[in-house]
Amino acid sequence: MTRRSIEIGMAVSAATFLISVPWLIPALTDNFWVSVITEILIWSLFAASANLLFGYVGLLSFGQALYFGFGMYGVALGIDHLGLSFWPAFGLGIVSAIAMALVSGVFAVRLSWHYFAIITVVFSLIFYFLAVSMKPLTGGDDGINFSLPPVFRFGGSIWSLTDPTFQYFFVLAVVSLCFFLMYRVINSPLGKGFLAIRDNDLRASLIGLNVYVLRLIAFVMAGFLAGVSGALFAFFGRYASASYMFYQVSGEAVVWTIVGGAGTMFGPLVGTTLFIVIREIVSSHWEHHSLIVGLLAILAVIFAPKGIVGLWNGWMTRLGERDAASAPPRLTLQAEP
Amino acid sequence: MRDTVLLLAMNGLIWGLIIALIALGLSVIFGLLDIINIAHGDFFMVGTVLAWFSLSATGNFWIGFIVAPVIGFVIGAIIQRLVIQPIHGAAALSIVATFGLSLILQETVRITFGATPRRMLAPIQGTVPLFGIDYEIYRLFAAGIALVALAGFFLFLQHTKLGIWMRAVRHDRETAVAMGIPAQRVYVMTFGVWFALAAFGGAVAAPITTVDFRGGVDVLPFCFMAVIIGGLGNLAGTVAAAVLLAFLEGLVQSVADPTVARISSLVLMSAVLLLRPQGLFKGFTR
Repeated sequence: MTRRSIEIGMAVSAATFLISVPWLIPALTDNFWVSVITEILIWSLFAASANLLFGYVGLLSFGQALYFGFGMYGVALGIDHLGLSFWPAFGLGIVSAIAMALVSGVFAVRLSWHYFAIITVVFSLIFYFLAVSMKPLTGGDDGINFSLPPVFRFGGSIWSLTDPTFQYFFVLAVVSLCFFLMYRVINSPLGKGFLAIRDNDLRASLIGLNVYVLRLIAFVMAGFLAGVSGALFAFFGRYASASYMFYQVSGEAVVWTIVGGAGTMFGPLVGTTLFIVIREIVSSHWEHHSLIVGLLAILAVIFAPKGIVGLWNGWMTRLGERDAASAPPRLTLQAEP
Repeated sequence: MRDTVLLLAMNGLIWGLIIALIALGLSVIFGLLDIINIAHGDFFMVGTVLAWFSLSATGNFWIGFIVAPVIGFVIGAIIQRLVIQPIHGAAALSIVATFGLSLILQETVRITFGATPRRMLAPIQGTVPLFGIDYEIYRLFAAGIALVALAGFFLFLQHTKLGIWMRAVRHDRETAVAMGIPAQRVYVMTFGVWFALAAFGGAVAAPITTVDFRGGVDVLPFCFMAVIIGGLGNLAGTVAAAVLLAFLEGLVQSVADPTVARISSLVLMSAVLLLRPQGLFKGFTR
């Protein structure tokens, strides 16, 4: 088994699993888990937005919940107050998240490291408190409920997210598309620019990269990802609440990302899955499941400081070295470093 | 009107002194050890809960003033050894580790103390006339205690062997180790002392605020604000910023609701971050 064949095998089985979820899961357990997996997909997109900034540009954001909240309220207010149908409301959520990310990013990316982390949390707190105090509009911590408009209407047939299977595939499609977009960006010259800034922003600026503009682009992209996940979550829960804009929500995205593996494409997905699955399993048996989550977070950073995906990559690299060692010796011109 | 302003401003001032006790520890841990301590607000919360338990166990309020910092010191030292030390000062990992810690502390309190917030009766009842208003005696007393603790802490840092070691290790670990300072032990002690100080702040504040397992969640951003506005690593600046922020929030609260007050201090904070990231007081001290 080589590394490549293992990874292809895993990718194929993961894709097969994700596509067969609406049939496989009810057969194995019950429908409840289909909605849990839908939720995991949405939150992993949210974690990916923290990962884009921290893992690929080196900016630790503690305020991604702000853009999540804007995506969420864009959808909820669009439907509830403006009477928009599905797609315009979805668009409103995403556009307002991007706009907010652009405005706050113009200020935030001027700072780095500690100061960046603090200013992102400060911005998100300002809007959290605004949302809490503007109760007639936002519903405050209680939030606002709305009823779902249909997604598509072809003649007589109506497609709506009230059908759990359709909802699952809709979320899966949107989340996969976003991950694909992120993958393309990371592997483009723009993405290489991000990595250069992450590794050393001074050198990046010396080779002619505009650090400020690149950071701003990444910040807006992260705002987009968080906004899409917030909009999806609003559709999924049929409501929006100010409590999702609190700094602890942003913190969870950072924790999921780091435990899963920051700077890897699927780290956020793995971390989010781990925490949500444990929460769902343990919380039905034991009220104090937070203890397990807390313990797990601590153990994860002590024993897998590069995250679960980082640990996996380490094993795969060692596997590759073993294969290379067992292969017939080849002539090398230069000693390996 | 004048009375309300005065009352809220006084409340703010005293709250700021207590926050300063907590923010000081955060300043050192965050600014100098490079550890982003999400659990720091919970250290304070644990202090309020310890005060509650010692009052209900012994019937004597004042025992909490000893119990909270002592137990706080022990927990802090254990935390440093078990959780903080293995991550070798990596700031990003410290977020996850202290997030986990925060969950564990909150949940442990929820199991033992319960989820319902409770109020504690101040041991000194009554009011005194002050600038024309009747002001609670206990709050004045708490302010005095906080001032004494702050002064004592700065004296400790300047004049005791452990205090000097702490500053040395913070300043330059390599040289400190070369001079024979047991850096590892100093780190453990440092964490213990900061936890003790935050827990002591909690015990002092317990009759003023509510005793609640989520009590640290609101305190944490406020402490971070004080640390940044005061300037990272500038301890005197941190104290000044905590007092100033709470005082200003108190003033704004007399004309608007607390949320507006909180938003205005957050906006002030953004301005400071963008215009004077080195802190408001750089150049005034040292």
